[in-house]
Amino acid sequence: MKGRGALAAGGVALLAAAGLPLVVHNSFVLHLCILVFLWATLGEAWNVLGGFAGQVSFGHAALFGLGAYATAILYLRAEVAPWWGIPLGGLAAAAVSVPTGLVAFRLRGPYFSLATLAVAELMKLVALNWEWATNGPTGFLITSLPPLHLLGLPMDWEAKAPFYLAALAMMGLAMGTVAALSSSRLGAYLVAIRENEDAAEAVGIDTVRAKVVTLALSGFLTGIAGGFYVLYFRYIDPDAVLNLGISMEMVFIAVVGGLGTVLGPLVGALCLTFAGETVRERFGAGHLIFYGLFMMLVIRFLPEGIWGRASKLIDRLSPKEARPGAPRG
Amino acid sequence: MGLIGPNGAGKTTVFNLVTGFVRPSSGEVRLAGESIAGKKPHAIARKGVARTFQIVKPFARLSVKENVTLAAFLRHRSRPEAEDAAGALLERLGLGGRGEKLAMELNLMDQKRLEMARALATGPRVLLLDEPMGGLNPSEVGAASELVEAIRRGGVTVVLVEHVMKAIMRISDRVLVMHHGERIAEGAPADVVKDPAVVEAYFGHGAA
Repeated sequence: MKGRGALAAGGVALLAAAGLPLVVHNSFVLHLCILVFLWATLGEAWNVLGGFAGQVSFGHAALFGLGAYATAILYLRAEVAPWWGIPLGGLAAAAVSVPTGLVAFRLRGPYFSLATLAVAELMKLVALNWEWATNGPTGFLITSLPPLHLLGLPMDWEAKAPFYLAALAMMGLAMGTVAALSSSRLGAYLVAIRENEDAAEAVGIDTVRAKVVTLALSGFLTGIAGGFYVLYFRYIDPDAVLNLGISMEMVFIAVVGGLGTVLGPLVGALCLTFAGETVRERFGAGHLIFYGLFMMLVIRFLPEGIWGRASKLIDRLSPKEARPGAPRG
Repeated sequence: MGLIGPNGAGKTTVFNLVTGFVRPSSGEVRLAGESIAGKKPHAIARKGVARTFQIVKPFARLSVKENVTLAAFLRHRSRPEAEDAAGALLERLGLGGRGEKLAMELNLMDQKRLEMARALATGPRVLLLDEPMGGLNPSEVGAASELVEAIRRGGVTVVLVEHVMKAIMRISDRVLVMHHGERIAEGAPADVVKDPAVVEAYFGHGAA
């Protein structure tokens, strides 16, 4: 399903999902859904750079943490409400990603990946040591959120529903962005860069500019996810939002779900969140072993990802519509 | 123009210098009087210098048509226009029926045609072909030679690096010979192949 059909289906699915809190009141289920939406957003954000452009970043936690800290600092020190702070956090992450990209994209392959890792570690050190700005290892605790009314109704910040809807909207934005990218000229250029960067340059594609713009887009989406994290969990410290585990989780979600696809990160987030919670419930601290095993099996037997494989099967069974090799749904 | 020389003479390096993949440490690179030395490859491509690679570099998991369409975006703003231009080029280069195949599914000859089509889609004034006949059998070499001649007749200046002397002699108006990074001979093909310095470069001291 491509183009307008896919767009309409996506819109309907989002609207349907928005109605879930009306029928499901179980806090744990809604919490799981929020986690899925958050990780799907992060997976989409990483997918923009890693899946489409083939640039493997191990440092997206830097952008996540930057968005989180920006939102927290704006609220706690400048009284900017989080719903304004979140997009501003996204813009801050995007702004930082531009000079970072201009330097890091001079490197290719594993050297680029290592450079991103270094940036993330640097950001963590800054957060730990610039206590005047970030409160250092203590971090920030948000004890209460400002009142908000939507359509005349007050938001109940103690309930899950407002966060569920906010996370769903954020994920919708991320997926919509990726869908728009996949059918744009920039998206086509990114695929060319992924396939062969030298050949892309030889046909007139400014590969550094394309990658920097993409990193900024990826940074914005990652940053707003960081801002949402602060809004929902209400506590951040360098370890919580700037750790390597967040960067790697984003990679796994995109890879397990399907690189270069719109739905892949959502599928990846669903699988990994539910797999993670299921084994955590049964095996406690040993859940990481099964989590890792699950990812290894997917990477070994489904290298194109779960949705990547499923969409190929769907394409094979349905009439041919789009050109081969174009980014998939 | 043909650019020949023994392996390691620096022929591909010259192409890399001209197209911006290698930055010159000294000297000049000029296109119609304008210096292009040190510019990035994409900027040089936009100025009208296109190239193929010694080892083909297709966008392997994209279709043949998409490979050329991406290059056509350099000269065409809209996708339909770029696709039309790509389709016409594929027909011209004998790939008309293979537009929907993935580039990695083509045989070597067709991948070389694809790379030429992709380079031509950028609307170049100058086309640098790096060993387009490498790895081809004799009938394919003949077909490739005809293709290059057709490109020349289309008004594009061609600089051809090749080891297949028959093709060089057939296609080139002028030949430049390199050895150890330096020009050792230049002129009409028939004159260059008799040059003692050229014979020595290829066959060793005492062969001239």
